[in-house]
Amino acid sequence: MSTNPETRRATVDLTLQQAIDEAHRCLLCHDAPCSQACPGGTDPAKFIRQIRFRNLKGAARTVLGNNPLGGVCAHVCPTDETCRAACLRTGIDEAIDIDGLQRFAVSYGRSRGLVVLEREDETQRPKVAVIGAGPAGLAAAAQLGRMGHGVTVFEGRAEAGGMLRYGVPESRLPLSALEADVKEITALGVEIRTGTLVDRADAAALLDEGYAAVFVAPGLWKAYTLDVPGVTLDGVDTAVEFLERARGPHDGLAARVRGQNVAVIGGGAVAMDVAHTAHAMGAKKVYAIALEALHELPATRSELEQAHADGVIFKPQCRVTAITGAAGKVAGVVGCETEWIESGRPVPSNARDVEGTHFELRVGVVVQAIGQGPTEVVGRILSRVDRRGKLADVDPMTLESNVKGLYAGGDVVRGPGTVVRAVADGKRAASAIHQFLSENAEVAL
Amino acid sequence: MKRRPSLAVDFCGVTFPNPYCLSSSPVGNTYDMVARAFDMGWGGAAFKTIGLDYEVHITHPSPRLNAYSYANTKVVGIQNVEQISDRSTHQNFNDIERLKKNYPKHVVIASIMGLTHSSDWKVLSKRAQEAGADLIECNFSCPQMTVEGTGHKVGQDADLIRTLTEITKSGCTIPVIAKLTPNVADMMPMARGAKAGGADAVSAINTVRAISAVDLDAFVPLPNVGGKGSVSGFSGAAVKPIALRFIAEMASDKRLGIPISAMGGITTWMDAAEFLLLGASTLQVTTAILRYGYRIIDDLTEGLEDYLDDHGFASVEQLIGKALPNVTDPNGLTHRTQAVSVIDDAICVGCGQCYLVCRDGAAQAITMSAERRPVVDEAECFGCLMCKHVCPVDGAVSYKVVPHHLEQYATH
Repeated sequence: MSTNPETRRATVDLTLQQAIDEAHRCLLCHDAPCSQACPGGTDPAKFIRQIRFRNLKGAARTVLGNNPLGGVCAHVCPTDETCRAACLRTGIDEAIDIDGLQRFAVSYGRSRGLVVLEREDETQRPKVAVIGAGPAGLAAAAQLGRMGHGVTVFEGRAEAGGMLRYGVPESRLPLSALEADVKEITALGVEIRTGTLVDRADAAALLDEGYAAVFVAPGLWKAYTLDVPGVTLDGVDTAVEFLERARGPHDGLAARVRGQNVAVIGGGAVAMDVAHTAHAMGAKKVYAIALEALHELPATRSELEQAHADGVIFKPQCRVTAITGAAGKVAGVVGCETEWIESGRPVPSNARDVEGTHFELRVGVVVQAIGQGPTEVVGRILSRVDRRGKLADVDPMTLESNVKGLYAGGDVVRGPGTVVRAVADGKRAASAIHQFLSENAEVAL
Repeated sequence: MKRRPSLAVDFCGVTFPNPYCLSSSPVGNTYDMVARAFDMGWGGAAFKTIGLDYEVHITHPSPRLNAYSYANTKVVGIQNVEQISDRSTHQNFNDIERLKKNYPKHVVIASIMGLTHSSDWKVLSKRAQEAGADLIECNFSCPQMTVEGTGHKVGQDADLIRTLTEITKSGCTIPVIAKLTPNVADMMPMARGAKAGGADAVSAINTVRAISAVDLDAFVPLPNVGGKGSVSGFSGAAVKPIALRFIAEMASDKRLGIPISAMGGITTWMDAAEFLLLGASTLQVTTAILRYGYRIIDDLTEGLEDYLDDHGFASVEQLIGKALPNVTDPNGLTHRTQAVSVIDDAICVGCGQCYLVCRDGAAQAITMSAERRPVVDEAECFGCLMCKHVCPVDGAVSYKVVPHHLEQYATH
């Protein structure tokens, strides 16, 4: 299978024969490293073996049973850094196309009406509130629902999915894949109250409103912005705004990007999504300006390969010092090269400008993808929760906060991370909440 | 240029340019097909079995074939319900005549089958000789003939084989081959019956009676012919081990002592070499041609020539029967030595399949180190070599021969 992300990440499913052929390349490792490397516990070794032995519905049960967002993860997981990086087939030739097989398993099961997520028994268990219908919240809701808890997910936006719906481009995640996973979760009896922003002084208040536990997984939606002149000019966006508009009705975004040079500031996964989206919209030149050297960029290999395939022009170890404009609109960026004060520590506070390296780029659009933090609303709902910086500080094993019954996970705890890590948090919190509520059986139903 | 080894073989006094022939089947159904095969390099052809058309009008069930595909390999074997030739007797012998006229150096074998009277065999052998066929092959072995009392039913009766061979011989002077069926517990009585009837050679194996698959939704064995399936002839790579056994048994029998034409799953020159080493002197192919076409002859001949060359043989005839002295009954195998697996850590990729098969099906002699490398406990290893057979890395598992661990049996 090709390692070219454009072909390997084909949205077209493998055919049955292709899946069987690929599963036959698997070495069927004992104590398989791929499964050990999956942060979400999806257990690829098992579903690949199931495909190999034509237990195709079983493969779908493994994927979705272990990972309620298994359909989504099959599209967005950075497998070159997780399961595929651990694949021992690389000792012979190339890693197994694990994401392709996972997509195959999920769509095979769904195309045959298989429903994997079901309530394990009919016992009525205490109600749990989940704040945020992103990957962490959805995963927690699915697991809690399976264990018999009534689950209400409060979601401020119009649709479920969080960053999966509003922050990941269609080219990386077809909406249909997200909707199929969400549909299976809601079919379990999980209620997702969309358009319902929990905006009160304290999430713990929900504990007094009939919810026996609360899982807070609102994500990080406040985009950081540059502190440079011109940042308020028309044509300067944050990645959060840009990708959300790209995903929804474009309201003229594509028309604004087409034929323009675009400067993307940042070198991570979000920056690469913006660059690819801008390229797909017909941008003339796309620059990616980042403090990191090429080998230090946080984006994954396949994201960088995609950027190279799109012709993105990298300006590594550079920063923007000003955004210039004409008539209130962006006309260009001014920047300079940077270097690390102390080598081997690629963090913004360790960067300094290199004299005499001033440069100017003529661009019509600037998108800032330099990180995200919790919104003010999240700050309020976590008012009684301990913090580590701006993030929630919780028990790493149970994800329980200092407030009893209040749990938090996903990006609001870890900072920006992968979908599969958020799923892992959701699963972990669900188990901990279930155990907590089982041990405190006196808690009102 | 270095002289290439000769692939020519003598079989019952007939010289084959190379040992590779089409076996009697759809791959040799018409003049045009056989001519194309000869043009592409096949040494001989057993023309599709001819009966007497004025006695029985042959038609075939349809679909005629089902492929047995294993795992991700397509067509490991083929089951067929095809009958003998459905063309007119005259047309078939006319084709044989034209083939011999236009391809005098190639060998044409007339495969025949009497359908209703034992005298049919004589009529057919006479006509085959008149048409110019080099040899006659009596089809005593088709497992799915819908005409009662023909095909493998004949081939399961040694007396009948002898009688019908005698009758066939009475109509011709060219050599006669008896084509035998593997659907018997022991082929030797059948081969001896053929010889007693005057057969100059035997050929084997015809197809193995089998059900290749069952349609899991329709609950019908495949091929599904109008809602029914049947036990019928199965061929191809999947049956090769069975064919090798029958060839080795007949070739090892000193009293039989007549040439053998072998078939049963021959696909590569290596398959061919195995049959030659076990005593066959000509080789016949159908299933691999059904799957890949006549073009495989290039690799069959070139590969065999190189093999002969690598082993210093000038002629393929030097290869025939070379492995027979090394074939013995299981009770002829030594118990004084045994194999012990040896694993090359440097190229092992650490998948642990060897560990799993040893743990669950063998001696529990392999452990996995913290670095994911298998470690063989030589005292426990009893040398089944499953670890070697499942290892995905070429050469990572080999074995050494050591004195037998007799103490294993004393202490356990």
